[in-house]
Amino acid sequence: MKPRDLLRLIWANLVRMRGRVVMTGMGVLIGTAAIIVLIALATGLQQSTMGGLSDFGPINQITVLPGAYMQAFGGEGAGFRSDAILTPKKLEGFSRIDGVVTVTPVEQFLGSKTLRFNRLVGSSSILGIDPRAVRDMGIEMERGSDRLNRDTVIVGARVAETFADPRRRESGAENAPDLFGQTLTLEMTRTNDEDRDETRIVKLRVGGVLKERGGQDDNSIFLDIDTFEDLNAWSTGKRVDRRALGYSQAILIVNDPKLMLQIESSLITNEGFYAYSARSTLAALNMIFAIIQAVFGGIGAIALIVAAIGIANTMVMSILERTREIGLMKAVGATNRDVMSIFIGEAGAIGVLGGIGGVVFGIAVSKVIDLIAMAYINAELAASGATSSGGAESIAVIPLWLPIFAVAFALVIGLISGIYPALRAVQLNPVTALKYE
Amino acid sequence: MARRKQASFITIRDLKRIFKLGDTLVRAVDGLDIDVAEGEFLCLMGPSGSGKTTLLNMIGGLDRPDEGVITVNGQTITELDENALAVYRRQQVGFVFQSFNLIATMNALDNVKFPMIFAGVSEVERDERARDLLGQVGLGHRMHHKPTELSGGEQQRVSLARSMINRPKILLGDEPTGNLDTRTGTEIMEIIQRLNQQGHTIVIVTHDPRVSTYATRTVHMLDGQIVADNAAPL
Ligand SMILES: Nc1ncnc2c1ncn2[C@@H]1O[C@H](COP(=O)(O)OP(=O)(O)OP(=O)(O)O)[C@@H](O)[C@H]1O
Ligand SMILES: [Mg+2]
Repeated sequence: MKPRDLLRLIWANLVRMRGRVVMTGMGVLIGTAAIIVLIALATGLQQSTMGGLSDFGPINQITVLPGAYMQAFGGEGAGFRSDAILTPKKLEGFSRIDGVVTVTPVEQFLGSKTLRFNRLVGSSSILGIDPRAVRDMGIEMERGSDRLNRDTVIVGARVAETFADPRRRESGAENAPDLFGQTLTLEMTRTNDEDRDETRIVKLRVGGVLKERGGQDDNSIFLDIDTFEDLNAWSTGKRVDRRALGYSQAILIVNDPKLMLQIESSLITNEGFYAYSARSTLAALNMIFAIIQAVFGGIGAIALIVAAIGIANTMVMSILERTREIGLMKAVGATNRDVMSIFIGEAGAIGVLGGIGGVVFGIAVSKVIDLIAMAYINAELAASGATSSGGAESIAVIPLWLPIFAVAFALVIGLISGIYPALRAVQLNPVTALKYE
Repeated sequence: MARRKQASFITIRDLKRIFKLGDTLVRAVDGLDIDVAEGEFLCLMGPSGSGKTTLLNMIGGLDRPDEGVITVNGQTITELDENALAVYRRQQVGFVFQSFNLIATMNALDNVKFPMIFAGVSEVERDERARDLLGQVGLGHRMHHKPTELSGGEQQRVSLARSMINRPKILLGDEPTGNLDTRTGTEIMEIIQRLNQQGHTIVIVTHDPRVSTYATRTVHMLDGQIVADNAAPL
């Protein structure tokens, strides 16, 4: 039998039993639509979540914290160890791990401070890093050089935006001053042993401005760690012995993405540090969303499997009614394969038609849900006085693969549900089939 | 024994078909031998239950014997697998039934074309052949009628046209006039006779002695065996 003739015969047979095909197809339609809508909602959830979390920072760095840090948060027993500390020697060891390009300690300024540029006051955080590591961190400069020394700093891409006139309360990109080549004033205060306030002024020349890279770095001012340690010591009144107590944070730069997760998990499970990276965070989130999609899709798939039973039932009924016809087909020379193809084909066609209907219906339902939800969310936003640009994103998102997958799945379900009825048709004895009343 | 001079076209040896009905065995065909020459018009007669239909079905490859050998046109069909048997039915035999067995939802033309779908004949040729055959059976003006819109005689003509559509050598008919009145039965038999004159080998089961007058040979069966074989003078 030629494929074209097979398709025409299948089509003619479906038209002939159209009433039943429509009803059976409805089951498939609802199942497919359920898959579309549920996966669209799961995808929408994923996109709006991930969209809000684009600030994971550079993809090539692992942030490492001492194990004690997690213990302080009740992470005891999870393998975090209090002897996992970031001493200079340990960092030296990190730098020798396969795949690690460079390592730098990172310290936050702990004392109270005011950052000034002329009249403006800034609110960036101040970080101390190892100047020798900067070159290998893959930091791209917008302007200037990446050299750090005693009085030269590098500023993140959005640091300038944090500067504002305290009396006028205006900040943001439009009013951002150009800091490059300028000198910032760091005004530190401390209370000395006699309970008297002391102030120290430090001049910091901006030698370079970073390109925007996402994450914390954009809002940070980077200082040479040694200078930084002096300032911190003055501010807190004591110098931390890093060889004994370790740094509070370290960053490892790993340029081989394949080694990234491996190094990260080794730091955690083998050494008892706490470590995280944009890559592992994204991987974990993606895993969660994959599970949500699978669960939602599975619920839809169950509806489709119920529909499959409907298809099988319709086909069995149809074969009973067409017993004589099957006998005749055999008498005029249809092979078992021909008979198989016709009935599995009819079942598959019901699946495809229901699937296409389900995709159309599912997309329509998704759009309606989207419209209603967006109207609701935007009304809530307006009521709460928020003037966020554009409001929330879509609630239901249909990725391109979804309709294709849904129709293919409906086809497969149809074909499978046609197997048993088709086998029954094949097994009919032509002599008795031709006598069937 | 004049007919034996011709080469045998259908050769049947020691054919047995035994049905099990509960505890009893029904020997529908019981050690039957027969030779049919090419171009013969054979009429199978005999009382109800004598095994005529069972024999016809086995010749047509619709049923398989429990024992014995059937050779048709040099091909031992009792040795064929399912697939080859389907091809045999498609290429070598045409069937007509007492109850016509037309597909109710198809018009006359599509019913006649139906077997050619499985033979992979092109649509253009299918249409040509089907129209031609419907014309030959006198239904050129009824091609687009559904079976329910046709008389019994007309339905059997459609069925005859369908049986000939793949140009088989053999026509098998199980009481093709059984559901028809005498006059339309005669018309059908005349068409069958014409097919025989065109060279088709014909085997017809009938209870009607008038039908046997068209045959070149009449065989009587009883209890699954041949009890009389009256070859009409050729
Ligand atoms: N599928 C079957 N199962 C059991 N017994 C059967 C079957 N088909 C035929 N028989 C039996 O075999 C015997 C021969 O049947 P067959 O139909 O060949 O007779 P027939 O000569 O065609 O009779 P009729 O003239 O009434 O059509 C009968 O006794 C019948 O009951
Ligand atoms: Mg009979």
